[in-house]
Amino acid sequence: MILVCGIPSESPLRMVTSRLEEVGVPFLMFNQREFANCEIWFEVSHKEVNGELRIGERTYKLQDFTAIYPRMMDDRFLPELSQEPPDSALRKYCRSFHDTLVRWMEIASALVINRCAPMASNSSKPYQAQLIREQGFFVPETLITNDPELVREFRARRGRIIYKSISAVRSIVQELNDEDEQRLERIRWCPTQFQAFVEGTNLRVHTIGDEAFAAAVRSDATDYRYAARQSGEPAELRDVRLSSELTEKCLRLSRVLGLEFAGIDLKVTPDDEVFCFEVNPCPAFSYYEANTSQPISAAVARRLESAATRYLTTQV
Amino acid sequence: MWLILCSSSDPSGLWAYEGLRRLGVAPLELILAESLAYGSLWEHRLDSGGTHLKIVLPDRRTLCSSRIRGAVNRLLAPAPGITERAAVSDKEYAQAELQAFYLSWIKGLPGVVINRPTPIGLCGSWYHPSEWAYRASHSGLPIAPYRHSAHDAPEKCYRPLVPQGATMLNVIVFRGEVFGAQLPEPTLSACAKLADASETEMLGMGLYADENGEWTFANATPCPDLSVGGVPLLQRLAKALTQGEPA
Repeated sequence: MILVCGIPSESPLRMVTSRLEEVGVPFLMFNQREFANCEIWFEVSHKEVNGELRIGERTYKLQDFTAIYPRMMDDRFLPELSQEPPDSALRKYCRSFHDTLVRWMEIASALVINRCAPMASNSSKPYQAQLIREQGFFVPETLITNDPELVREFRARRGRIIYKSISAVRSIVQELNDEDEQRLERIRWCPTQFQAFVEGTNLRVHTIGDEAFAAAVRSDATDYRYAARQSGEPAELRDVRLSSELTEKCLRLSRVLGLEFAGIDLKVTPDDEVFCFEVNPCPAFSYYEANTSQPISAAVARRLESAATRYLTTQV
Repeated sequence: MWLILCSSSDPSGLWAYEGLRRLGVAPLELILAESLAYGSLWEHRLDSGGTHLKIVLPDRRTLCSSRIRGAVNRLLAPAPGITERAAVSDKEYAQAELQAFYLSWIKGLPGVVINRPTPIGLCGSWYHPSEWAYRASHSGLPIAPYRHSAHDAPEKCYRPLVPQGATMLNVIVFRGEVFGAQLPEPTLSACAKLADASETEMLGMGLYADENGEWTFANATPCPDLSVGGVPLLQRLAKALTQGEPA
């Protein structure tokens, strides 16, 4: 049995469940918004993890799940909790339920796309950049500092530099301009990340199992995710084929990071150097699939199904 | 220069600093988390060729990666300092940014770093008790059944796995060697296997004897009380640091 966790109407989740339905693969949906009507427990003993998940009236054995696709929103912000005081029983149960679910997924024998621990490398972009570098990718020259003068020197030397968050907290990548330079004294209270702007073509590579899908992105914006806002024109995406060498390099990077499914942000320079900016462990691939028709959701469904099939073969 | 990175409220870190100094590890600098929190200059660079770090501390000491040869890293989290001054709405963001920053600069330290950070712990992996129990069991250590339910209060999930009244023994595994309490061979091997499987160079473990006298897993930490290993552990650490032994 496959378990899918999240908000059913969320685009990437909806795409994957649609693909599973199309090929007739059974799955169970845990809708986060119905947490109050669910229960979970698990036990670790003698190298085994057993337990139960109840959704509504039905109870399932955790050990029967062969593959899991968790794509959950921060449970603290579920609409069902919006009117709840901070210490309400419902709010505490919601947190406790999600904590138990995630703790189980970390040690479940099922295929999990993806577990939390490997996803955490993305919680620090410069940390992850050091892991990316070890796999032979170029990484952009980066300066993290609380010294405005060092930033001015960096900008003077590199010409165009950008700034963005160090952590996984989402930020819009912005180019540092003269106006920003006037505000640089503010970084004295907290080290901030600056990066040399890399010229070239943006590529987004989704890896899932042994498959890779690459999309080239044409945009004049510093952060193409916000192209319409930054440059007035939406980004243009197209399906491209990578060399077998680069494909293998991307697949290896995902494997080394322990990720079954990843969204790798690359930029290929005019000199054909391949820079890697980050590896997103929970890619919102629907935007790319909608714009390129790449069958990413089908590949995720196939990967989930393959674990179920393998399990059945083992049982026989 | 070698560094001891710890908090001022970490007696074990302070003990290791004094002990390593007496063993002749020099120059050895004690760098407290509270001092880092108020560093007057931070400069962390990385590119395709390498990583660089420069920190000027409030007492004007300068740490530069070109002079650092290794570290004993016992930092659990960035000390509050900057985040205390942040607006309430920015606190969570500032904490995430600092944690991410520390993870990167400690990862980039040159030489022998015991332990290097991981995304789930600044001084090595901090697994949840359920995952430690699972890993211990797979490493060959007996465990008491660990149960976790959505109806449990979060703090209950961190309860010790030790029955009340049981006697605990503590050991530290460092690069496959076990320091501290005397244990039978199969248990020693299983402890070393757990540290190896957890990709943690130095891992502290607590065990207790069950009703059959079998040594049973109780807990594990990448930031153990180093005095458990005594002078033999300090001597081993000194050797690893000064001889630059790769892990």
